[in-house]
Amino acid sequence: MKESRLMLIQYATAVLALALVAAHLIMQGVILPYDTAISFNNILSIYQNWIYAGFLEALLVVVLVHGFNGLRIILHEWRQTAPWSRWVDLGTVAAVAVAVGYGTRTVILAVFGGVSG
Amino acid sequence: MSLVGEERAKNKRGIWGWLNPYHYNLERWAYTFQRVTGVAVLLYLLGHLGDTSFFVGGPTGTGPSSSSWSFIGSIFENSFGHLILVLVVLVLTFHGVNGIRLILSEFGLIMKKPSGIEYPYRPKSLGSVQKSLVWVAIAAAVVAALWTYLVLFEGMG
Repeated sequence: MKESRLMLIQYATAVLALALVAAHLIMQGVILPYDTAISFNNILSIYQNWIYAGFLEALLVVVLVHGFNGLRIILHEWRQTAPWSRWVDLGTVAAVAVAVGYGTRTVILAVFGGVSG
Repeated sequence: MSLVGEERAKNKRGIWGWLNPYHYNLERWAYTFQRVTGVAVLLYLLGHLGDTSFFVGGPTGTGPSSSSWSFIGSIFENSFGHLILVLVVLVLTFHGVNGIRLILSEFGLIMKKPSGIEYPYRPKSLGSVQKSLVWVAIAAAVVAALWTYLVLFEGMG
């Protein structure tokens, strides 16, 4: 993918992340008291609401793409040899895939998994 | 090594170049902090991915587990963990607001028009709007961190 397109993705995910993270923080510390917000039952009710679960999945993807693409940009600024650039790009794709996969597993298990004590 | 290669090696400062304060203006400091806070937030994010997975029993879990969630809460829900969250909100807010400044300047919206070089050679890119937005980012970060402190340590919210 062209570097200019990757920068546009970086800016688009930045704006989206700003809105989603702000909403996440407001849900955790403003709408409900923090102790209630992080209680097991409250989080379970969040995951069992499809809109909230979708919101958390979108937050996960947006911040991870933005974060790892940002790290890729820093690493490209650091060194510019062709092998380095290739490995950084491959590493970024792999890191995003693994992290999104692990986070999505949490969301799927929270939504569909059986509750235990 | 060729002459060009030697010249390039001499001028190469790499990551450590970010942290050398010599001859830095406000914009350059904002550049450094944008990257340092970005890496810090990414590290926190990976940790947060790990701790939230304990809601479903951790890496080997199969579904929501209150005992696993209580276990991870007993590790992070204390003064030290809350202090980390205050610092995360501080750097996250700076990164977000300063990032908006960078996007605006990338699209040329808050850049001054190019002009001739005049003594004392102040960078034309760093206009009053840009400078103000850096300070807005710092102020927003402090206010957000203070709010988080009040929520976590004083029970507000």
